[in-house]
Amino acid sequence: MENDGRRKFLGVCLAGATVAAAAAALYPVFQYLAPRSGKTGADKLVFAASDIPEGEAKFFEYAGSSAVLVKTNAGVVVVLSAVCTHLGCIVQWEKDKQDFICPCHAGHYSPDGIVLSGPPPRPLAKIPFTVAGGEITVG
Amino acid sequence: MTYLRQTLRSSLQAAFGALILAALCLAAPQPAPAAGAEQPGTVCIQCHGSLPDRLGAPVKLWRASIHAENGISCNGCHGGDPKDAADAMNRSRGFLGAPKEGEIPAFCGRCHPGVMKDYLASAHGRALGQGGPTCVTCHGNHAVVKASLELINEKSCTRCHSFERARAIRDAMQQTEGYIVGIDRRIRGFQAQGVDTDRLGQGLFAVRNRFHTMFHDVDVARVKGESARINAELGKLDRDLKVVEEARAKRKIAGGIAVAGLLLMAVLFHLLRKTYD
Amino acid sequence: MGLFKRLYDWIDLRIGAREIVEKELTGYLLPRNINGWYSLGSVLLVIFALQVATGTLLMIYYVPDAEKAFKSVTFIMNELPYGWLIRLCHAVGSNMMVAVLLLHMLSTMMMGSYKSPRELNWLTGFILFTLVQGISLTGYLAPWSQLSFWATTVATNSAAAIPVAGPYLVEFLRGGKLVGPPTLGRFFALHVAVMPVTIAALIGAHLFVLKRTGISTPPFGGELSRNPWPVQSYRYHGHPGGIPFFPNYLLQDLTSICIYLAIFLAVVFYAPSLLFTPDAFIPANPFQTPAHIKPEWYFLANYQTLKIFPSELLGLSVQAAAMTFLALLPFIDRSPERNPLKRPVFLVCAIGGFLLWVGLTIWGHFS
Repeated sequence: MENDGRRKFLGVCLAGATVAAAAAALYPVFQYLAPRSGKTGADKLVFAASDIPEGEAKFFEYAGSSAVLVKTNAGVVVVLSAVCTHLGCIVQWEKDKQDFICPCHAGHYSPDGIVLSGPPPRPLAKIPFTVAGGEITVG
Repeated sequence: MTYLRQTLRSSLQAAFGALILAALCLAAPQPAPAAGAEQPGTVCIQCHGSLPDRLGAPVKLWRASIHAENGISCNGCHGGDPKDAADAMNRSRGFLGAPKEGEIPAFCGRCHPGVMKDYLASAHGRALGQGGPTCVTCHGNHAVVKASLELINEKSCTRCHSFERARAIRDAMQQTEGYIVGIDRRIRGFQAQGVDTDRLGQGLFAVRNRFHTMFHDVDVARVKGESARINAELGKLDRDLKVVEEARAKRKIAGGIAVAGLLLMAVLFHLLRKTYD
Repeated sequence: MGLFKRLYDWIDLRIGAREIVEKELTGYLLPRNINGWYSLGSVLLVIFALQVATGTLLMIYYVPDAEKAFKSVTFIMNELPYGWLIRLCHAVGSNMMVAVLLLHMLSTMMMGSYKSPRELNWLTGFILFTLVQGISLTGYLAPWSQLSFWATTVATNSAAAIPVAGPYLVEFLRGGKLVGPPTLGRFFALHVAVMPVTIAALIGAHLFVLKRTGISTPPFGGELSRNPWPVQSYRYHGHPGGIPFFPNYLLQDLTSICIYLAIFLAVVFYAPSLLFTPDAFIPANPFQTPAHIKPEWYFLANYQTLKIFPSELLGLSVQAAAMTFLALLPFIDRSPERNPLKRPVFLVCAIGGFLLWVGLTIWGHFS
């Protein structure tokens, strides 16, 4: 019967389409569940410790946004994100007051990044770094 | 026609029951209006909001402002205690009153220090107290809206001098401003689709502020110089957005293939069914 | 396929598979004039299965903690490969489930399949309808966005109008005076454990009753359109000379499922913003109510009804009365006639009610 021929043909087409559809559905699920490799960290940056005098701050680019390296009067080194946690402006270092001020809405941060006054809701994010042999490696 | 009578009777019974219930409810004491979640109001607004003329006008102006949008009430600028009506305007509790003309830049500059610095160094700032403009002259005092290039217009600037210089600055800023507005629109579009636009939004905000604050210096040469740097940063944001847009376009194509494939399968299933009928 | 046949024989020897296949598949006869509307039930099964699958996948990365919920959803949407697809499928799927369920309900009403002896089917179906509304409501809070937070606040607030127990009920629902972390906890437990299990159980009951009573004959196409009721003893409503479920109607089911999936994916890929307002992507802020908070489209009629009536209690009561009327439909409408064209009173009420619901929904959208 001609129906048989048609059925076979349609059956084959549908079997193929179903397999393709199942594969198309399972592929994203597999990718979604597969364990992810550790984040490819941003390139590390190296500064000479003597580059930054005490009581001063150096601004640089790190992982696509602004960061700042501070060496306080006591010689302590801190590396922070320079993006204000309020609305995203870049903070400025006030040498005379030894603190950070955001020019947009006057948020004040300590050299540690802790909010002293103003609208910022969170402290400045800390960026990991290591000090070895007169060199500061950020990241 | 028993079943029609039966149906009618049952429906009428149900309707009658519902009416009785409704009548009972009307008789029941009206519940208090549902306590909508209202923002904590300040005593300033509560009092001045109902005062007439000069004393009440600022409230209406303030409601349309970007300060109101961000939850900054009267005490944010004028000081005082926003919760205690008795001490709300007590100077020993921090109330500052309305600033005199010469005090205005410092008044606004308490929260906007960057702009104040640029303004004081500019020709406008140097003319403070001698017929020059204060913050309020261009931005208004209570109906302060989000800054845009429209603030530099013929009507406003010709109050004191010819529009030529202002036009030169405005033209220098026009292109970059357009770029910023375009990127802002794209970011907001993506945010409405669930893209994580935090970093991009913050980056744009920082660039926009650096750009706008430049105007207060009213120095065309400086504007032109900085604009190049600002445009470079905007270019970076633009490229990031393009990456997102390309990914979205790819998704749409994949979606089209999936939908077409399913419709094809539906047709095939239908045809296969017909062979059995 | 010699291997297949050998496997089939092996299984058949142990559990009598051939018998089952004959009874439930090839020997399960359906009325000759069956139409496509009868396949909506299987579409709903597929939708439910997809919701469970995507929901489980989302649970792997979602964190039901008020501080972390929004961030985890942003992570799923942006960082996780195809996370956006899983999340959108789940969100769009929930809306589709309500839409297809409404179509299923309407077709059942039109063809009078709720009438005796199928009252139990209607009742289990109606309970499923309320459960689906409930699971949608609880799921809505999970992303902890401005939309989630405030829509839940508005929805739980309406319980306050119930006399005496109202305010306590609202606090009980929320786990506190206002929507907050306790609300998220209990809503999540309901959404992920209690309701899916209850829905699955009721689907089982619904299908069991369907199989035991026998599927109805569509009241069109010349055959007798009146139910032979009441009868003295139980009788299975068979359809001798009808078409077999396998493969004939199974293929119809599959056709409908593919059409549904095509529409579903079209919305997922091309119009997800139909269901997401910008507020859905702003983290919840208990101190700032957005300007126009509205519930999802399937609750707009309820929302508008509450707005019309001056007293919330009256608004709630009217809705409760309407729902009760709908739930008891098979007991109110006792005539055996099933052809809609021969039931003028019913037709007027049904079309009128449906238009009223659509009108309220549209009004709710624009108000």
